[in-house]
Amino acid sequence: METTGMTFTLTRRGLIQLLAATPLAGRARAGEVWDGIVAEARGQTVYFNAWAGSPQINAYIAWVGEALQRRHDIRLEHVKLADTAEAVRRVRDEVTAGRAGSADLLWINGENFRVMKAEKLLFGPFAEDLPNFALVDIAGKPTTRIDFAEATAGLESPWGMAQLTFFADGAKLPTPPLSMPELLELARSAPGRITYPAPPDFHGTTFIKQALAETMADRALLPVQIDRQAFTEAAKPLFEFLDALHPELWRHGKQFPQTQAQMTQMLADGELLVGLTFNPNEPANLVATGTLPSSTIAWQNRGGTIGNTHFVAIPVNSTARQAAQVTANFLLSPEAQARKADLAIWGDPTVLDMAKLTPEDRALFTSAAAPGSVTQPAPAIPEPHGSWVPLIEAAWLERYGA
Amino acid sequence: MARTLRRLTPAQGALPILVLWVLPLAASMLMLLPAIAEPDAWRQLQSHPQLWSALVLSLATGGGASVLALLMSVLVLAGLDRSRALPQLQALAAAGLALPHLAFAIGFGFLIMPTGLIARLIEGGATPPPWVTVQDSWGLSLMLALALKELPFLLIAALAALARGDGTGHLTQERRVAASLGHGAGSVWLRVVLPQLLPSLRWPLVIVFVYGATVVDMALVLGPTQPPTLAVVIWHALNHADAAVNGMGLAMTLLLTSVLAALVATTLLLLQVTLPRLRHWLCAGPSLLAAPRGMAVVTGTMAGLLMLAAILLLALLSVTPRWPYPALMPPAVTFAAWTTLGSSAAPLWLSLLLAATTALAALGLALLWFETQPEGRDRWLIGLALATLALPQLAVAGGQYRLFLGLGLTGTLPGLFLAHLTPVAAYVLIILQGPYRAFDSRYMMVARSLSVPASTAWLRVKLSLLRAPVLTAAAIGFAVSMAQFVPAQLVAAGRYSTLPMEAVTLSAGGNRPLTAAFALCLAAPPLAAFLAASLLGRPRWR
Repeated sequence: METTGMTFTLTRRGLIQLLAATPLAGRARAGEVWDGIVAEARGQTVYFNAWAGSPQINAYIAWVGEALQRRHDIRLEHVKLADTAEAVRRVRDEVTAGRAGSADLLWINGENFRVMKAEKLLFGPFAEDLPNFALVDIAGKPTTRIDFAEATAGLESPWGMAQLTFFADGAKLPTPPLSMPELLELARSAPGRITYPAPPDFHGTTFIKQALAETMADRALLPVQIDRQAFTEAAKPLFEFLDALHPELWRHGKQFPQTQAQMTQMLADGELLVGLTFNPNEPANLVATGTLPSSTIAWQNRGGTIGNTHFVAIPVNSTARQAAQVTANFLLSPEAQARKADLAIWGDPTVLDMAKLTPEDRALFTSAAAPGSVTQPAPAIPEPHGSWVPLIEAAWLERYGA
Repeated sequence: MARTLRRLTPAQGALPILVLWVLPLAASMLMLLPAIAEPDAWRQLQSHPQLWSALVLSLATGGGASVLALLMSVLVLAGLDRSRALPQLQALAAAGLALPHLAFAIGFGFLIMPTGLIARLIEGGATPPPWVTVQDSWGLSLMLALALKELPFLLIAALAALARGDGTGHLTQERRVAASLGHGAGSVWLRVVLPQLLPSLRWPLVIVFVYGATVVDMALVLGPTQPPTLAVVIWHALNHADAAVNGMGLAMTLLLTSVLAALVATTLLLLQVTLPRLRHWLCAGPSLLAAPRGMAVVTGTMAGLLMLAAILLLALLSVTPRWPYPALMPPAVTFAAWTTLGSSAAPLWLSLLLAATTALAALGLALLWFETQPEGRDRWLIGLALATLALPQLAVAGGQYRLFLGLGLTGTLPGLFLAHLTPVAAYVLIILQGPYRAFDSRYMMVARSLSVPASTAWLRVKLSLLRAPVLTAAAIGFAVSMAQFVPAQLVAAGRYSTLPMEAVTLSAGGNRPLTAAFALCLAAPPLAAFLAASLLGRPRWR
């Protein structure tokens, strides 16, 4: 059943491309195909499997559900997850057993996407045929099409932007460290008040990737496949840096916080000086909810920080693919993206290109500076190729793990 | 009912538990075998640099916590023996038992960490002191928290065993005999009560050890990271999206479970050999050893106060988005977490329904088994039950999900019911086995000789005398059901949501007020169940 559905869609995609090749008629016919999808989507229920650790994000998804119900007669059910890998395992088991899917849309990126793509667990390509995909800033934000050095190949639709960001209480730390060497200096002057989460926590691994990017001789190596030998050579300065940093860290680098959330709590309680996050607007958001003081400052390292994009994807065995595509398209609309970027709602940066929007749509993105927001954004350093991660984690564990 | 029971053949009596519990469980575990058979999984396991140190840490924290909890509970029970404080102790223990482990870890952590309440009270400078109180490399804070959290469990199990109607009679007489021989109160307790209590506590103690050596949520809050406990390493591996890493996690699971099983078997065997040699000590005396009342009061009060402090701190933390060091009171109060939690009631009702039905079903299955099977067969069932509790939920849940998927049970209420029944029945069987099998069958003989019909005798004599342990087992089953997350979440496949699912997914972001509010909310229904059990289970004939 899954295969027939996919062939059908592939044919449809082929049709769109064929029609697009014939000038004039192309755009209109592609529009007709999309209208067909929208019509089929009516009355369907989309089970959106998404991490649910933030009340603000959950409220935003609930708003999306209301809008879809009103405009497209689609019922959106937020299946709340503590960890996206759970949905990956569920889809894998369902596909192996030949069962219809329990998930229609996944919030996904990175390792989870790589695994699902490799195991052919995703429906598509569909993403670049969505009408609103034309508004995506694929040139300015290349990670909207390359997820952790893996080509998205239209199997996932960009939803929001993420970039490693540090934050602190400006009353305690007026001049933040804008590079890894400056962080080391700070750790030396305030021993025990700096740390990072232990890998394999995702944020911990990202911190190490950031240190790697800032210390390595040739950053051009990052996007390519690497073997153990080349890694050992390339990572030498990284481990020299960490060897120097660790004795100055919290608990002398013998213990680390388990998660980024725990680190944020330790910062809020006053035990640590610097926190880190992947959502540049999280600090401002935490100020808004009262977790952090209004004197909070946020920054990105001067030479750039690791950045990526998060996406939505449709499992290959979804039973509501049309409605899932309409949902993905709505998530890309200027209205939904602007609401998502609003610091009072969620504060997740948009994937759209402002230059491609109409003036009215552009006006929706009113980004007033709020306490805790990043004042001087730095360029994004794309995630290293997937082959780096297991090597980084193994080497780190070997050196500092026991 | 007893007449029907009597008419049932052993095979018929065993059938329901085999179909509803043993088969699904065994099949779920079998589903894991292909992944464990992968040689790559074992190669990855061997090359994991934290494997052995993490294993030692797991065994040390679990073992240390069990010994500590046993010592504390023996001290409290011996000291408060026959005191008026016992009913209050039972209520306090019920509250402690109802509190989820994670909740206690958060509350206890906020008490002892460098930015915690104690540090604020005695240090209180501009920057927090460099205390190594949580996440110490030795796992001591984890061990202490585990021991404190398991103390109520052991106390409830012991009090239920001691309150057994058939036992209290001759216990009282034996105490009198010992006292008239010149034994002091403490000596009477050690020589008369303890030897009769320990067999009932054997399996609860094993639960405490196995739970302590495999716990994840508490270890994530209080345990060290370099290395973490093996359960945490396994949890990370099983959580991974990559099937190869899951395989390594399963191999580690098999290793940890085998080591635990070997340790438990060796310890039980050693006790079987050495305990009879201590018999001469039982006959020695008389000794004037007094009841350790003072120490019992101190230990009980300390544990009770810590528990109470943890609950109060949770309540405060649930309305405090920010409470920076060294402030003694939170600067601002908001009920945002409680509003989020109160926004939907459906998960709570579903949880209550599942908890009530699974606790009753588990009780029925267990009674049916005990009434129709010879005692010798219990060990297979108890072994399976212990394996359920020892295996990481993530591992069993994966196998169970695959099994239920094939049977078309995922996303259905029957599937959800069975997923909850698995751990609930395991606990009920383990808790009930000791006291139920120790029932003095002469009471039934007396009743039957008075020409009371079998069913009436069973209901009004046996069940009535065993009311305390039966109700306690049901209440514990209820509480266990209220705490189910991983298997339930997978089997529900997003079609149903229970209170723990809401709680765990919403606290994935580490929002402390939300986590605290949910923890308190999750503690309330089990607390009601434990209080009801201790009220209804109080002997009528005293």
